[in-house]
Amino acid sequence: METIAIPAINMSVIAPEMILSVVAMALLLINVFVKNEQKGYLGYLSIAGILVTLYSLTIGWGAPQDGFSGSVVQDNFAIFFKGIFLVSAAMSILITDQYLQREGCNQGEVYPLMLFATVGMMLMASGTDLMTIFLGLEVLSVSLYVLAGFNRGSIRSNEAGLKYFLLGAFSTGFLLYGMALTYGATGTTKVVKIAAAAQSGMVSSNLMLVAGMLLMATGFAFKVAAAPFHMWTPDVYEGAPTPITAFMSVGPKAAGFAAFLRVLLVALPVFKAEWSSLLWVLAVLTMTVGNITALYQQNIKRMLAYSSIAHAGYILVGFTAGNAVGTSGILFYMLSYAFMNIGAFAVIILVGKKGEENNNLADYAGFGYKHPALGVAMCVFLFSLAGIPPAAGFVGKFYLFSGAIQAGYIWLAIIGVLNSAASVYYYLRVMIYMYFKEPTEDFNWVRLSPAFIICLIIAIAGVMIPGVVPGTILELAQKAILM
Amino acid sequence: MLDNVWLIPLFPLIGFLINGLFGKKIKNEGVIGGIGTLAIFCSFLVSCGILMQLVGLPAEQRVFEKVIFPWIHAGNFKADMAFLVDPLSAVMIMVVTGVGTLIHLYSIGYMHGEEGFYRFFAYLNLFCMSMLLLVLGANMLVMFIGWEGVGLCSYLLIGYYFEKKSAGDAAKKAFVMNRVGDFGFLIGLFTLFWWFGSNHNIWTINFMEIKAASHLLPYGGVVTVATLCFFLGATGKSAQIPLYTWLPDAMEGPTPVSALIHAATMVTAGVYMIGRMSFVFIKAPETMMVVAVVGAATALFAATIGTAQNDIKRVLAYSTVSQLGFMFIAMGVGAFTGGIFHLMTHAFFKACMFLGSGSVIHAMHHALHHGHLHDDPQDMRNMGGLRKAMPITFLTFFVSTFAIAGIPPLSGFFSKDEILWQAFSNPYHGDLNKVVWALGCIAACFTAFYMFRLVFMTFFGECRINPKVKDHLHESPLVITIPLMVLGVLAAVGGFIGVPKLIGILPNYFEHWLEPVFELANEYGKQYAHMHEHSHSLEWGLMGLSVVIAAIGIFIAFTMYMANKSLPEKFTSAFPGLYRAVYNKWYIDELYDFVFVNPCKSLGNLLWKGFDVVIVDGVVNGVAKLVMAFSAGLKGLQSGYVHNYAMGMALGVVVIIAFYVFR
Amino acid sequence: METLFFSIVAAIAILMSILVIRCKNPINSALSLIMTFFCLATLYVMLEAPFMAAIQVIVYAGAIMVLIVFVIMLLNIRTESGRRTQHALFLGAATGLFLLFQTWYFLSRSSLTGAKGAIDSAAIAKVGHTELIGQSLFTEFLLPFEITSILLLAAIVGAVVLAKKKV
Repeated sequence: METIAIPAINMSVIAPEMILSVVAMALLLINVFVKNEQKGYLGYLSIAGILVTLYSLTIGWGAPQDGFSGSVVQDNFAIFFKGIFLVSAAMSILITDQYLQREGCNQGEVYPLMLFATVGMMLMASGTDLMTIFLGLEVLSVSLYVLAGFNRGSIRSNEAGLKYFLLGAFSTGFLLYGMALTYGATGTTKVVKIAAAAQSGMVSSNLMLVAGMLLMATGFAFKVAAAPFHMWTPDVYEGAPTPITAFMSVGPKAAGFAAFLRVLLVALPVFKAEWSSLLWVLAVLTMTVGNITALYQQNIKRMLAYSSIAHAGYILVGFTAGNAVGTSGILFYMLSYAFMNIGAFAVIILVGKKGEENNNLADYAGFGYKHPALGVAMCVFLFSLAGIPPAAGFVGKFYLFSGAIQAGYIWLAIIGVLNSAASVYYYLRVMIYMYFKEPTEDFNWVRLSPAFIICLIIAIAGVMIPGVVPGTILELAQKAILM
Repeated sequence: MLDNVWLIPLFPLIGFLINGLFGKKIKNEGVIGGIGTLAIFCSFLVSCGILMQLVGLPAEQRVFEKVIFPWIHAGNFKADMAFLVDPLSAVMIMVVTGVGTLIHLYSIGYMHGEEGFYRFFAYLNLFCMSMLLLVLGANMLVMFIGWEGVGLCSYLLIGYYFEKKSAGDAAKKAFVMNRVGDFGFLIGLFTLFWWFGSNHNIWTINFMEIKAASHLLPYGGVVTVATLCFFLGATGKSAQIPLYTWLPDAMEGPTPVSALIHAATMVTAGVYMIGRMSFVFIKAPETMMVVAVVGAATALFAATIGTAQNDIKRVLAYSTVSQLGFMFIAMGVGAFTGGIFHLMTHAFFKACMFLGSGSVIHAMHHALHHGHLHDDPQDMRNMGGLRKAMPITFLTFFVSTFAIAGIPPLSGFFSKDEILWQAFSNPYHGDLNKVVWALGCIAACFTAFYMFRLVFMTFFGECRINPKVKDHLHESPLVITIPLMVLGVLAAVGGFIGVPKLIGILPNYFEHWLEPVFELANEYGKQYAHMHEHSHSLEWGLMGLSVVIAAIGIFIAFTMYMANKSLPEKFTSAFPGLYRAVYNKWYIDELYDFVFVNPCKSLGNLLWKGFDVVIVDGVVNGVAKLVMAFSAGLKGLQSGYVHNYAMGMALGVVVIIAFYVFR
Repeated sequence: METLFFSIVAAIAILMSILVIRCKNPINSALSLIMTFFCLATLYVMLEAPFMAAIQVIVYAGAIMVLIVFVIMLLNIRTESGRRTQHALFLGAATGLFLLFQTWYFLSRSSLTGAKGAIDSAAIAKVGHTELIGQSLFTEFLLPFEITSILLLAAIVGAVVLAKKKV
């Protein structure tokens, strides 16, 4: 009998993923014994798990190592992105319980599913094998399909889940076909080996590899909601339960970018000219479509959906540059985007009440005076989204655009600035409603639970501190780029 | 002291935090107003200390950069949170904190009893902080933060009476127009940054570093593009053609706001920015020409409109636009010192006039309120003869009016004359200079005319206010009149620090002071300028001419708005030549109406209604409509059907593959 | 000969998958799907992957299809009603055909440049397909294999959450 030689596994590389998976599975079991009204405690348990995971991440900082014969790697890039995922997951979990209680769908499974989604994202960020990346993406997607349709009583939520599932499966087809073509052209699925194989002129001139790259790009473009693969976003974001929308608009987007960056920057740098011209077009299209359509929206969740499309466009600007400044800009921006977007969604949840989401702009009339603290918090988030200094959004945007300029894409930066100028209009409109309209409601149903307060404080700190003193985080981001 | 420059913006920030966070709890207006005023006053003291120290240094050492903390470091690009103290920023911080302190003090009286008193002071302090960041910023990014900050505060303050729809609309208009300008600013910044970086590997946005490297910049070309973008930013902030329409609307805000933001400080940011980057602007002769022509056009254009307005604050608003035009003329013809000088004197006299008008409105409001009347307290047709009831307000306003009209030896005379003389004599744009000068002269004439029209209608003649409440018109309290008096004195004597060399009774302190800042720009300018020698007699002649022009304006205003009213006897005796005209007032009135007032009014109306409403607003709304239509179209694509979405995605894939595979 | 056989099987597979989406009666769709799976299994056999072929038949054509048919019967899904949008059909067909043309275009102009691995038909004949798959699952693709378990768990939890009766 022949023995199988198992290669070095190096479990410590996937320690964070393992911790989080174990926590998720434990929660599934604990869930059975928890009464319906107390499901919120599961949330706190998951946050404890997330904190432990976060701690386990910090150990690996600065000492990159790979494992499972090159299927995963734990480098600074992955760790930074995993930090973003964990922060966004923790913040979304903080605002989940109150919402689900209110809507009467507080099933405890929501927390394990969110954690599974996070595990999927983490695998995407650290996957160095197309297989790992793909499976991470699937774990993420499957959990999200369920989460989007989590509010079973609501038709819109059902519709969101189904739409997301159908279109997600459709785009997965392209992604997988692209991976297969890449495998055919290079004979491997490991990103490093793909890069090595693509060094040879015969491989890099192979049309199959170009097609593979393009199809993978479209698959990732779907995940990050870049035009023209963005159309699912508004419907799904609007229909999904709001905390899930908050989670979906940040984490999966960041994960999509993490995998996208790794595949293009590490595996296919030979095609830099091709993919940067493709991303150039996608960036312009995405920013413009996102911003211009957002101008028209009356529903604030939909507006933020389009705004999140536009933000994917800004990040694509930094991606197009493909240089150190642009890439570190992406990392920085993604992190600050997590804080500002989830913060904004937290306020949106508070404005709504059972059955009435109160998502129309008119529902915000006079809100700023009835709840000054929440009003100010919302303004901070909106200003950051609009990229007005000194919020983090401004620094991040500045970074992305200067990356593009350093790479010589001055027109792209100009289009970006133009877009960002246009975007102020719709963010401002919310503020106009909050402050310059007579209140029609007294907003007495707004109940600030401790979890929300913590979430909002973290969000404000996460928006303002990197905005005023971005030094530390930028340094981390610069150490975390892939080159 | 120089090391403590960070204190200057810090004090207003503290004031903002205290009033913003606890103002609602404090309730006591004296305490709130006191904190706000004290905060900016402390900044003023620090500014004075810095100025003193700068004065003590030799001229070439008067540049100091203080890094507060490292801010953005990315590869070879670096932007610190840093402040730059040099003679130019010293002038600006003195104006901002000095005038700011007076206006804060004034606001305690003016805003008395208003709901949201604390909010007002918090915003005011926040504004001052942003403005100080703007003028102290050592790189374009810090300046941009201040630039955005003042825009935001302006928005908050214009919309202070948010329950009024017009106030909300005006605030929105101001914000949107400013954003158009900000866009220009950012593009200019990026262009310059990119050019230096890609051609010389100098990735910087620091003013001093750009200055040190400015010899590398070519004349024209990319510099023209960058400076035109910056200038677009300046037109937004400083209300020049074509982005000026927000400023008159901004008068919806409380009067101290109009005085501080829309006359003395924020609107001058564009002028300051050009001054700060004079060494870049001068390298683009085309841009300089555009600046000068736009400035001249705005100066004249706004002045004509000012003649047709009846709202006291609107007259002042158009006057501000017009005076900013003068400053841009100065910048455009390379007379940077003159522009900054006019900026300073204008801050004095215009702040004084705005506060004076506020005092009048305050008194009118109280009187009308007392009689339960609903007349418009800002309409000059309801005023008249107020000088007896409000002597201090009248006197300070009168002095400032003389100053703005350019009557020697008041401050406005020196600065305006300097600009007009430089426009005439500076060698940059050939014969175009003379055109700019001529436009400026006509605008000066109009200025004198409409300002005196305002004074005559408001303070002279018989009281047109309802007799019932006439006795309730009172002078404003001391807290309002003290700032007026201080500003009045400054408006009167402020010009003496910049007496032209020609007159020579005093050295031109101001020019010497700013010389090191603009030295380099003047150096570059010589590269393409064709120097002419001008005789002293010509300069004297033009100086005389500008006084005569002002006098003509005053004279016309006088005949039109005094002569047909029941004139006090002393005026008839003071101007005997007019006596017959007064005597025959009906036909002179007709004649003037026919020859001057009607055409002027209709021209003003035409420009105001025609150009403003149809063209400028039309273009702005048109663009907005176009975008909205596009947006609606895109929204139509969002049908909600999954198969449509899938089709969109498939089409996207097809197009992408087609592009790269069929190449 | 082999090419001809491949073409026939592939054509049947494509035809059947078209029928899956064009049939109005769900049972017919399900049966067409089974046919597709069988064709795929045949293709696996031709690629000298007997284990895959067996799994394809047992798991997909067997277990999963039985489940699907059960569900259809239990839920008593009737023939699909409602209209289908024809313009979407036309555009979709056009797009799909063009995409097909593109695929043909770039595939016909490219070659398999990837380095071939050690496992060829000789190795399969010697060691056995099942064992080779087992080996690579536990060596090179250990992590993806493990991730699959998480994926399945998440899917099961999701299915239960969406389907269970009482909240």
